[in-house]
Amino acid sequence: MNENIPIHEYDVVIVGSGIAGCSAARELHRNGKKVAVITKLHPLRSHSGAAQGGINAALSKDDEIDLHMFDTIKGSDYLGDQDAIELMCTKAPETIRWIERMGAAFTRNNDGTIAQRPFGGQSKPRACYAKDRTGLTLLQTIFEQAHRDGVTFFDEWYVSDIIYKEGKVHGVVAYNIRDLEFAIFKSKATMFATGGYGRAFKVNSNAHANTGDALSIVARHGLPLEDMEFVQFHPTGLAGSGILISEAARGEGGKLFNSEGERFMERYAPNKMELAPRDVVSRSIQKEVLEGRGVGPNKDAVFIDLTHLGEKVIMEKLPELRDLALTFLGLDMIKEPILISPTAHYSMGGIPVNIDGKVRKSCSDFVEGFYAAGECSCVSVHGANRLGANSLLEALFFGRHTGESILRDLNDKKLSNPNVVFEDAKRALEEVEKILKSNGSEKIAKIREELQESMTNDAGVFRTKESLLRQQEKLNELKARFENIRIDDKSKVFNTDLQEAIELGHMLDYSFFIVEGALIREESRGAHYREDFPNRDDDKFLKHTIAFMDENGKISTQFLDVALGKFEPQPRTY
Amino acid sequence: MADAIETKKIYLKVFRFNHETDYLPYYKNYEVVVSQDEVMLDVLNKIKWEFDSTFSYRRSCRHGICGSCGIKVNNRATLACKERVFDMIELFGNEMTIEPQSRKRVIKDMVIDKKDFWDKYNAVKPYMITAVDEHPDSENYMSPHDYENLKEADICVQCGNCYYACPSVEVNEDYLGPASLAKTYRFNFDTRDEAKIDRLDTVNDLGSGIWDCVKCYECAEACPKGVNPIEKITYLHTQTFQEGRAKSNVATRHAVGFKTSINMHGFLDEGMLVAYSEGIGVLKHLPEAFKMFRKGKIAMPWNMPKSKNLDEIKKLIKSSSSAKF
Repeated sequence: MNENIPIHEYDVVIVGSGIAGCSAARELHRNGKKVAVITKLHPLRSHSGAAQGGINAALSKDDEIDLHMFDTIKGSDYLGDQDAIELMCTKAPETIRWIERMGAAFTRNNDGTIAQRPFGGQSKPRACYAKDRTGLTLLQTIFEQAHRDGVTFFDEWYVSDIIYKEGKVHGVVAYNIRDLEFAIFKSKATMFATGGYGRAFKVNSNAHANTGDALSIVARHGLPLEDMEFVQFHPTGLAGSGILISEAARGEGGKLFNSEGERFMERYAPNKMELAPRDVVSRSIQKEVLEGRGVGPNKDAVFIDLTHLGEKVIMEKLPELRDLALTFLGLDMIKEPILISPTAHYSMGGIPVNIDGKVRKSCSDFVEGFYAAGECSCVSVHGANRLGANSLLEALFFGRHTGESILRDLNDKKLSNPNVVFEDAKRALEEVEKILKSNGSEKIAKIREELQESMTNDAGVFRTKESLLRQQEKLNELKARFENIRIDDKSKVFNTDLQEAIELGHMLDYSFFIVEGALIREESRGAHYREDFPNRDDDKFLKHTIAFMDENGKISTQFLDVALGKFEPQPRTY
Repeated sequence: MADAIETKKIYLKVFRFNHETDYLPYYKNYEVVVSQDEVMLDVLNKIKWEFDSTFSYRRSCRHGICGSCGIKVNNRATLACKERVFDMIELFGNEMTIEPQSRKRVIKDMVIDKKDFWDKYNAVKPYMITAVDEHPDSENYMSPHDYENLKEADICVQCGNCYYACPSVEVNEDYLGPASLAKTYRFNFDTRDEAKIDRLDTVNDLGSGIWDCVKCYECAEACPKGVNPIEKITYLHTQTFQEGRAKSNVATRHAVGFKTSINMHGFLDEGMLVAYSEGIGVLKHLPEAFKMFRKGKIAMPWNMPKSKNLDEIKKLIKSSSSAKF
């Protein structure tokens, strides 16, 4: 492998080109900073574009910022940090109008204002939307404007390591997927905006790319991850594939039925019914299935019925969803109910950051020159459960806000000059070399399948100490087997065999954090449900978990206080 | 959905090539069992995960929104994650040839070099041009009608299916192609954009722009998202006239010739149309003109029949014209 690796110099390197990455990049570039955005896809292929239903803001006259805050905090099962939530909700209206001014194509009311629809756990219709493809118009718009301003993008480059020395990140090591040529990107500030980690589960709504690379890269340097046990299972994934049917389906009036034709949400959330938050609805569906009232070939799904909306409303407001059900189930939601079941959807946990996007080194200290935003980070505005249409808002707002925070740190000369030598690429080079030479007997696809299946079964919607210990053992087994993998593709050209192996390594590492966090958290809160501890325990666990992995892969956990505020924790019923 | 999941076997002939190691491409055969709920991307995954992990293709979202996995099945453009395998079997039977979108641009297997595609995307200023209020306290007002007037152009995912299926692109490397022209429409018909004229001047050159569309509808067929690029190209034709940006060339004169002829006769005078479009160049068509005349396909100008409702037709043209020529 070439030892003369080129070193590119930038003020800021941003990894990930979804909504958070692009909004930070635009902010910094406009203010005269030299920025590079690195993505393993093309920016327009980022998973932000898959978000369907909407983006929240208290825009209308009969809504209030405080209500948005309260709904978000209650939705988070009080684990959300109230200072961050207050900032995000306060800035939400401006953020939506800002992206609209840049060209986002929102659906409109008759008076020309941005239309809003009801969403789960929200006390007002608050989700601004573009039919059922809101993420797509937002991603396109923020990318287009960053591109218009002249931000430099490195497409199809894979970032495989950070350069972390003396408590500071000095840049990243990456290779060009097209020819496997490495480069060092040296920078005063480095920002991760790489998205979520839902691919660890068998049934999930995530893109193939959502392998949580950044989390394991960070963790392997002994830096912490926060609240990893909180994985959102979205109630309405298409049965089998897990492909998402947006919450807009329930927002527009979709009704859930079991095999006995009962509208079962009456039992679990008599007031909010289908519009209870996602964790509540997912558990209700799973319960119906476990008690034998599921439908479909494997009796593992329930029905969502939208037929009463009629063709006109479905075609105007949910055309993509109809198309998805036709493609993946062969069912037309205009004519018949469709089959859905919970699907791993969103990662509430991630790289711990403070309200300005600075990455934590410990509960009290920060890494110099290192920032994160969007789904890969944990700021935490979603706490134990994210409300629908708050993730696009988080990505767009905190992406921009983190860009501003980096700008401030650069201008205030708070960031020392990066110091990089060729040897800093050694870890990354060795990893690739080792994997390329693998001639063992284990197949990547097989280990990944076993990982996903076991995570869904034993660390999924319902968890117990027993199931989690079983999963811990399974992870140890898979990790050992990963040492004995086989790579058939030895080529340097677009080697996706190699890439899938690197990504699997990342998935295995961060899965340990999910399981460890779930084991330690002996309570049920938001998306984390322990059958052996079915109640929330504020005395012990109104705290974030901050977990570290040592060189031997052993995880230790500390607790970080939640930033509370004007909304006191209360029992959470809907 | 049936109560049990049905499966079928398909026989695949798959294009393989690695530009680093192979002198020529070749095809490899695979037999794959597929089920009714699977899409073509599942087939690609099976080849990679069960048979040959060196097989390479782009993919990400797996539900038709990221635009990564465009391929050709039996020479028909498709987005692999949006195409049901059973629909393909119904269309083609159980033997399928899987190829990249464009064989001459291949890097490896299904992965092609998209540089020319992205260059042309960049050429049309594919972003809204307006002064951005960085801290607005209100949004632009936009009527539902103006929003609908984007005609789904905003859902293009840049998969490139239309571009690589376009026969004009195939023979003319300067032609911008359907995807970037649909993108031009996306902004030129947005009431908030301020660079309409600039973009029109970019896309209405003969040889590279809207007039080189041959109206074959391949792009509409190839699009997995229903963007219908040719419809958008047609709107751009009209917009160049409406905005007075049409340059006098064979294509624009051809368009004007239609109107002139109908306005004069109520019928299309095919002979004069060619003369109108090509000016003195019409002389090279004399042999065909003579043959057409003998078959009664064209008439001498003084013998050109007139529609008996010519007055009505003139009124219709007047009331429906949106552009000055």
